[in-house]
Amino acid sequence: MSVATGWEFVAITMLVYLGVNLIACLGLNLQYGTAGVLNFAFIVFQAAGAYVAALFAVGPSSSSGGFQTYVGGWDFPFPLPWLVATITGAVIAVPIGLVGLRRLRSDYQAMVMLVVSLIATTVVVSFPGFLNGSAGIALVPPPLGTLLNPISVQYGWLYVGLTAVCCMVVFVLVSALARSPLGRNWRAMRENEAVAIAVGLDVNRLRMLVFVVGGAIAALSGAVLVDFISAWSPDAWLYPETFAFFTALIVGGLGNSMGALIGAVLVPTLLLEGVTLLPTFANPTVSLGLQWVVIGVVIIAFLWFRPQGIVPERKTVIAPPDNTAAALATGHKAQEAG
Amino acid sequence: MNQLVLIVGSGLITAALLAVAGVGFTLQFSVTNVLNIAYGSVMGAAAFAAYEVNKAGANLWVSGLVAAATGAMLSLAMNRGVFKPFERRRAGVFTLIILSLAISLILDNVVLMVGGPFFFSYKQLGQASVRIAGVGFPPSQVFIVGAAVVLMFAVHAMQKWTKLGKAMRATATNPELAKASGVRTGLVIDLAWLISGALCGLAGLFMGIIVGAFNASTGSSFLVPIIAAVVLGGIGESYGAMLGALTIGLVSEAAASIAGVSALKQLVAFAILIGMLLLRPQGIMSGTAAQRGLVR
Repeated sequence: MSVATGWEFVAITMLVYLGVNLIACLGLNLQYGTAGVLNFAFIVFQAAGAYVAALFAVGPSSSSGGFQTYVGGWDFPFPLPWLVATITGAVIAVPIGLVGLRRLRSDYQAMVMLVVSLIATTVVVSFPGFLNGSAGIALVPPPLGTLLNPISVQYGWLYVGLTAVCCMVVFVLVSALARSPLGRNWRAMRENEAVAIAVGLDVNRLRMLVFVVGGAIAALSGAVLVDFISAWSPDAWLYPETFAFFTALIVGGLGNSMGALIGAVLVPTLLLEGVTLLPTFANPTVSLGLQWVVIGVVIIAFLWFRPQGIVPERKTVIAPPDNTAAALATGHKAQEAG
Repeated sequence: MNQLVLIVGSGLITAALLAVAGVGFTLQFSVTNVLNIAYGSVMGAAAFAAYEVNKAGANLWVSGLVAAATGAMLSLAMNRGVFKPFERRRAGVFTLIILSLAISLILDNVVLMVGGPFFFSYKQLGQASVRIAGVGFPPSQVFIVGAAVVLMFAVHAMQKWTKLGKAMRATATNPELAKASGVRTGLVIDLAWLISGALCGLAGLFMGIIVGAFNASTGSSFLVPIIAAVVLGGIGESYGAMLGALTIGLVSEAAASIAGVSALKQLVAFAILIGMLLLRPQGIMSGTAAQRGLVR
């Protein structure tokens, strides 16, 4: 077995990052693109998934010999940490949703969510005993690392395969949800909340539901990411990261999976991760700063010149079901008879 | 006794910073209707500009002027360059908040690129301490409390007794009606950005003095306590922001001092903010929030 080097290492890394970003973008697209719910705390859900997946794989805190401290710590077999992480994402969506999804004007709501994200970072940094503070949790063992050789190139491709399976599952799920009656209700809420309420939709329930589903998807993306890079710290989930996903959706096109895919390739994968693999052209601070300046400029430019994104959402026209047509026809006849 | 003086003193110093920043934020929102997430970043950029002139040998008065001018010009440029053109196209509130976040990222990272990943501290702060009831406070921080009181009175006087203040309040309440009654709303909004931006810039200088050492992201990290003060008092209400700042300053210092854990300071601000959002998201003074339909 050969060790992953050169182009294969780059390809494996980029593909896993792409998969993670795609999962996250599909989740955010369901929340914002389909349901119109603003979640500026999206990265918190990815972070929660990553921390939980790490905690359920890394073993107890004491086993590291005082190198890092955290609450809990188990070494569950492979698929379980990802599963627990996904469930956690759904569970923490409820309290965060209760604070942030109050009936507030949408920009006020967005500000509240941003504040939630800032608070989460500060709490983790201020209490080093909780999740090892700003140093973060490291040495997360790779999934199935005891059975296979985790530094082999075959393992790398296996990980790409695992990521792809997760992408497929999430893709099928969000596509089914978007087409379902629930998806139609979400779009109705997005387009005109007052009308949605008037026709009897429970918008609070709809909002919380998309928040929970999107939270679970975000957490899964975090779990896949943390087991690949084997470490996770507050630097990885500062609030601008959420903004990178929003940029991806606006660039790609809101409300459709193709847009989410194109956005995931262009913004978080090529612009944020791909650039770090290139030979450095300037000192690291300047190139890091420049990336975010470029993201900021790109989003302003897209909102001005092409707000619908590269792939605009297709308008769904729903044909009236047959019985409606029949009812209309009979109504017509009854009128003629009368 | 000494602990009480220390708590009240530190609380007032924090409150002074939050009040200046909060009144600027809330004035900006009430007149322009933009929730400006970039506010903390403008504070940071102004603090950095003041640091550059301070390093070059200017005293803190000149640095303060530079900070105020930086905040004012950046805010005006944001309105003219970004918010106003988008508002003309009838962009929604979500677009505006995403734009302000984009500007925030650009500003933070330009400061990072120019200044580097370092911490900056002002010079000539004075080493002596002012003793109040047996407790020593740095003179620059005592000065900040005085300056904040003067600034708050100036904002109050402007809003209450000047024609501009009246025009601002008219524009805030009903821009169409104000326009129809002969108020030049475009000019009033530009002036609101300038004045709130100047307050924001001064708050940046105060922040730099109080925290001692700041970096490119310190400004945006102050967004949470500022928003906490503003939301507690009632967003869009100047007196509400002052009240909120005073409450958060005193309560957070008291909690941190009594428990002996300084991390508690921020957490108390968070707890107040979250409790307020759950129980009364429109804040203590709810006029603007109700009028804008912020809370439905």
